[in-house]
Amino acid sequence: MVSTKKTKKTHESINNRLALVMKSGKYTLGYKTVLRTLRSSKAKLIIIANNCPPLRKSEIEYYAMLAKVGVHHFNGNNVDLGTACGKYYRVCCLSIIDPGDSDIIKSMPGEQ
Amino acid sequence: MVKFLKPNKAVIVLQGRFAGRKAVIVKNFDDGTRDRPYGHCLVAGISKYPKKVIRKDSAKKTAKKSRVKAFVKVVNYNHIMPTRYTLDVDLKDAITGDALESRDKKVTACKEIKARFEERFKTGKNRWFFSKLRF
Repeated sequence: MVSTKKTKKTHESINNRLALVMKSGKYTLGYKTVLRTLRSSKAKLIIIANNCPPLRKSEIEYYAMLAKVGVHHFNGNNVDLGTACGKYYRVCCLSIIDPGDSDIIKSMPGEQ
Repeated sequence: MVKFLKPNKAVIVLQGRFAGRKAVIVKNFDDGTRDRPYGHCLVAGISKYPKKVIRKDSAKKTAKKSRVKAFVKVVNYNHIMPTRYTLDVDLKDAITGDALESRDKKVTACKEIKARFEERFKTGKNRWFFSKLRF
């Protein structure tokens, strides 16, 4: 009972941080641009939805391992991740280039 | 945050005639050129892998089985898969800037690369690079 409450609170905090990044920071949405930012070493954090196809998920994680970038597995599917980004479309993976005012980079990999 | 597409990185070519072959990055063009306005790199790879050599083989058979056929190609970054391996073979002087302009220059470059790959294979190092990727 206690653990579910804790995960709900941190889940909301991820959404809050993501909203702040959308407002004040730089990001890209979508698989192709995520790989592009990883290759050019511009990405600071990668967020992947939980219904991402496993091959694509492994590929993004491998690229992130090579680039030494953190990956966060979002607790929701691509519909939820799109909603969390404030968009009206599905987002399977996104890459944060510049967090702006948010502390998502400092707090997320620690919680991982 | 770390650039990993650098020279001497082992990659796997994903598209084209050499799909599934392992290659090593020789030169990067991260921002593209006038003709190719996308990130691409010059790779040198293995077109025909060396065959498995066993202890029973005679010297003539070992020499025949250790042959490597190489290729030189310019590939888009989207069409390669980088790996965690590297191959420290100096290929920059073998492939000059104009190696891909005419067919006979390409052939001489490939012959030079083939010689370098074969001598590296014979030392027994970089075993992963010279083994065929099974898929």
